[in-house]
Amino acid sequence: MAKKGHIVDLTTVINKDDYVAGVLDSVTWDGKIWAAPFTMWLKPGFWYRKSFFQAHGLSEPKTWDEFKSLLDKIKGISGVKNPIVTGDGVGWPVSDVTEHFIIAIGGPQLQLDLISGKVKFNDARVKSVFEAYLVPPIKAGHFSEPIEWTKAVELWWKGDYALYFMGTWITGMVENPDDLGFFPLPGAKGVVGGTDYIFVPKHSANLNAALEFLKWLATEGQVVHGSTKAGKIPTWVKASPGALWKPMQDVYRKVQDLKLAILPDMDDTVGGDWQTLFWDQLKLLWVSPDKLGSVLDTLTREHPATKG
Amino acid sequence: MRLAKHLRPLVFLAPPFTLIAVFVIYPILATFYYSFYDKNTGLLSLNNYKEVLLSSNPLNMIIARSFSHTPPWGALVHNLVWVALHVPIVTFLGLIIAYLLKYHVRGSTIIKAILFLGIVIPPAVGGLIIRFMFEADIGIVPILFSYVGVESLSKTWTLYPQTALLALILGSVWLWLGFSVTVFAAAMETIPRSHIEAAKVFGASTWQIFYRIVAPQLKPAITVVVVMTLLWDLKIFDIVYASTGGGPGGSTTVLALVMYNYFARALDYYKSAAVAVILTLVVIPFIVLIIRRERG
Repeated sequence: MAKKGHIVDLTTVINKDDYVAGVLDSVTWDGKIWAAPFTMWLKPGFWYRKSFFQAHGLSEPKTWDEFKSLLDKIKGISGVKNPIVTGDGVGWPVSDVTEHFIIAIGGPQLQLDLISGKVKFNDARVKSVFEAYLVPPIKAGHFSEPIEWTKAVELWWKGDYALYFMGTWITGMVENPDDLGFFPLPGAKGVVGGTDYIFVPKHSANLNAALEFLKWLATEGQVVHGSTKAGKIPTWVKASPGALWKPMQDVYRKVQDLKLAILPDMDDTVGGDWQTLFWDQLKLLWVSPDKLGSVLDTLTREHPATKG
Repeated sequence: MRLAKHLRPLVFLAPPFTLIAVFVIYPILATFYYSFYDKNTGLLSLNNYKEVLLSSNPLNMIIARSFSHTPPWGALVHNLVWVALHVPIVTFLGLIIAYLLKYHVRGSTIIKAILFLGIVIPPAVGGLIIRFMFEADIGIVPILFSYVGVESLSKTWTLYPQTALLALILGSVWLWLGFSVTVFAAAMETIPRSHIEAAKVFGASTWQIFYRIVAPQLKPAITVVVVMTLLWDLKIFDIVYASTGGGPGGSTTVLALVMYNYFARALDYYKSAAVAVILTLVVIPFIVLIIRRERG
């Protein structure tokens, strides 16, 4: 769009130093900024009900062994079908939790290298994340079958499941967000985050008004948006965390305390028909974990950067 | 005056012919042309066909490289399986239900109306309903199997390659059955009651009446149901898109979905055109065969 001259150059409208590092990279071309960020969501970890954890004497795991033992303890609780509920829609919730394992076990750089194609899915490092960390809990029945993701929120909230890996928008979907807690996988150095951007078409009838509105949305407007129940955080660094909706203040604080890097969403970034293939192959893995080898080979073979 | 008389039909025919030319003939010719267009070289070649026919992406695979006893077998084979199961089930079940409702059930209008609901539901919504119908704990099918103790079928059918395609085909029977029942019920209205009563007087059983009196007189209606169901099956898209998206592992993908994936996901319009032409080539023999049989 920028190359074809259809959108307005915003380099002089917003100040790039006022935004979270890296957030403008995907909308910068030819040294100019072509879109303004106005909000951000995160996929920060496994959500749980504080009251559930309290009632059963559970606590957030600090090590991988503690995570495994937490899953075993939850599995033993009467009335719990599986420790972790797996969301399903067209498949994206399955890819979200998988990416979290890749980032936590393999490191943030592995996520970036898989996106760019520098590392292939059938690389030994990736294979070990799946073989040693993701597939065993699937085989052990720690994950549920993929369940329609909004239905899964309902079932998880009423205690059929204890943990749910989901984005921050979940805070606005539950009856009592004060009862929500979350933890990333032990050792995670990053989480996936996504930004929503505003573009201004070059042929807008009221260009000046559009730019003025954009400037507000990208700055003070983010504070307003962050204060609602949308489950979003601002990308404008001048926004005060104290103005965020209370449940999101806790998320913001924890992400800051753990020094978690914000990383791009793999399937959104690669996109195209590989995105649906990724979702579909992971859903297959969830019900047929023995097909791991063929799943990783298929993802390698069809990735736009490692094809052929 | 005579010229004007000759021109008059042309004047009336020009608007529909123009519309057909613009909205039917041109898109067909353009699709055919673009299916050969190589976007890399700008030349016409068979590359698009080669690539779509040899695709190894399970969601876009037209014919699987190797066959096992469970899907994925490739979109073309899935379409053919759909035809092989759906057409006979919908035809025979529709025929039997219409016959029973006409001659043996009182208040059949309400039952026919309920059956017809499947046709009224938009197929995309039907796809979502099918997904829930076969979902463990809430879907009617897994719950029924759970009651009778068949654990292997009390799971979510659409999640497993072994059962997903069958779930969609059975679900589409529910959606499409109303059509065949309605067509057969309407056709049965044309059979004189006296034929049935005469057969009864001569001691014919229910089965003999159905087989010897009713069914032969429904031949044109059977052709309509078979042709329409066949076409519906070969161009099936919405149900699959809304329920499984072609998964798991490509085990439910169909030709129209592959066409959509190339068009809307990969933004490769030329390969999408190639799949459209393949889909047309698959449909044509079926239609020719049925028309010939009908004429014969």
